[in-house]
Amino acid sequence: MKQERFVALHSREWDHLQSWLNALDRQAKRTLRQEQALDFPASYRRICHHLALARGRGYSHEVTERLQRIVQQGHRVLYQPPAPRWHRVIAFLVAGFPRLVRAQWRCMLAAAVLFYVPALVTLVLMQLRPELAHTVFSSAQLAQFEKMYDPANAQIGRSSGTDLHMFGFYVMNNVSIAFRSFASGLVFGVGAIYVLGANGLLIGGVAGHLTAIGYGGPFWRFVAAHSAFELTALVIAGGAGLRLGLTLLSPGRQRRGPALVAAGWIGAQLALGAFAMLVVAAFVEAYWSSIASLSDAVKFGSAAVLWVLVLGWLWRGGRAGRHGA
Amino acid sequence: MIDTVREIETPEGVSLRLRAAGALPRAQAWMVDLLLRFAIFFVALIPLAAFGKGGNGLAMLVMFALLWGYSVVCEVWLGGQTFGKRALGLRVVNADGTPVTWLPSVVRNLLRVVDALPGVYGVGLACTLIDPHARRLGDIVAGTMVIHVADLPAGQEIPALTAVPLPLVLASDEQAALVEFAERAGQLTVQRQEELANLLTPLTGQRDTGAIRQLVAHANWLLGRT
Repeated sequence: MKQERFVALHSREWDHLQSWLNALDRQAKRTLRQEQALDFPASYRRICHHLALARGRGYSHEVTERLQRIVQQGHRVLYQPPAPRWHRVIAFLVAGFPRLVRAQWRCMLAAAVLFYVPALVTLVLMQLRPELAHTVFSSAQLAQFEKMYDPANAQIGRSSGTDLHMFGFYVMNNVSIAFRSFASGLVFGVGAIYVLGANGLLIGGVAGHLTAIGYGGPFWRFVAAHSAFELTALVIAGGAGLRLGLTLLSPGRQRRGPALVAAGWIGAQLALGAFAMLVVAAFVEAYWSSIASLSDAVKFGSAAVLWVLVLGWLWRGGRAGRHGA
Repeated sequence: MIDTVREIETPEGVSLRLRAAGALPRAQAWMVDLLLRFAIFFVALIPLAAFGKGGNGLAMLVMFALLWGYSVVCEVWLGGQTFGKRALGLRVVNADGTPVTWLPSVVRNLLRVVDALPGVYGVGLACTLIDPHARRLGDIVAGTMVIHVADLPAGQEIPALTAVPLPLVLASDEQAALVEFAERAGQLTVQRQEELANLLTPLTGQRDTGAIRQLVAHANWLLGRT
């Protein structure tokens, strides 16, 4: 069949579908309710067939490109991904996320070691040789820490600012650190190792110094509760980064490309979970940890409850019960 | 690297041709997004000033959302286009040509951190130059690519002349070349048209303007015009 006849036969259908697709771009909901929507899959497939014919018969670009445009637009509509659903967010946080963390337990363990070992070592070193604090921190930094955790303060953990102010600050600061430690893991894991180690050193250093100079009381009362979420989330984000770097180094029995895509998929979910944990952590840190007037029993009791909750959630969450899943 | 078209076979068995977008339009789109985000941030600061110190916290939440959330939200809800990409006619698509979904979008925007280093998008620029589909690292790990929405301008319609049958049978690719010449002749200078048409003097038996007219007439015949 010559091109002109082919166009004359079918161009009405092409124009029809094209105008429907254009209308869909402008007013999605109303157009989808039209009766023509029922005909769309069949009509789209016919036009795919026309495109294949046109290419096979070597018709001119004018025709093939016109058809290609319709097919491309139709492909986007027919195979559009399902809209995100909110109940899946909850299912993910309750079950999917802890399952994923357990599935990646080797990376999580490595990340925990990379973070807690430097932290504990500096913490102990600061007790034995308190003057080391001056090699790790500048004296301005030390003065600020001491001001924040001065036992004479009405509110602990901050030198100024309201609860809301600090909430915004904690979200911005902590989540950015967590996201960066995940993303920089792509550089053969070096970034994640650096972020984990440096933060371990820093946190251990502050804790050790404050304990050594006798400000330990307010400090531990402040950090005990929210650290359950905050430190765990940091370790998880770092572990996700390590996973990414490891995959780049040794993709196993897959090609690097697909292996990286799979690792990125897992890593993004872990990072999103860590993000949720850090928002909770920021909330606790801003509104609960800063209250100085509560007794030690309440402070450390609530902290213990939170730690048990977090670890229990990660350990048992999403396990198939007796009902099976 | 010169041919940036990526062919994706659809379930219907035809191939989609997606044109990968290079570093320059993407950088421009990023600039537009950056300016837009600055504008949103400063406009948001005005009402937040009323909250006093707490407003600082809210401002930081806004900044956080613009820094980490803006691209993901735009890409997922606006069919793979942030406002900058829309202005430049770009779109983020999954590997199968459908608009980008949640997780790939999160991956490619989190890994922006790596692409953005050193300096301004050093790794990203190098990566888009090396990769055949001009993807940056984040795109490779997410399995996405950035494409041009609009097609290249197609050739003009072939001018209608009285169709003249070909004196001999041409192979299909030769026919296609002839039709393509007739389609695109309008985009070439007259001298170039003549130069190309003169190559076929053995077929047309004419030179210069006559040869061009003869070829267009043959093309009309090939299309089935009378």
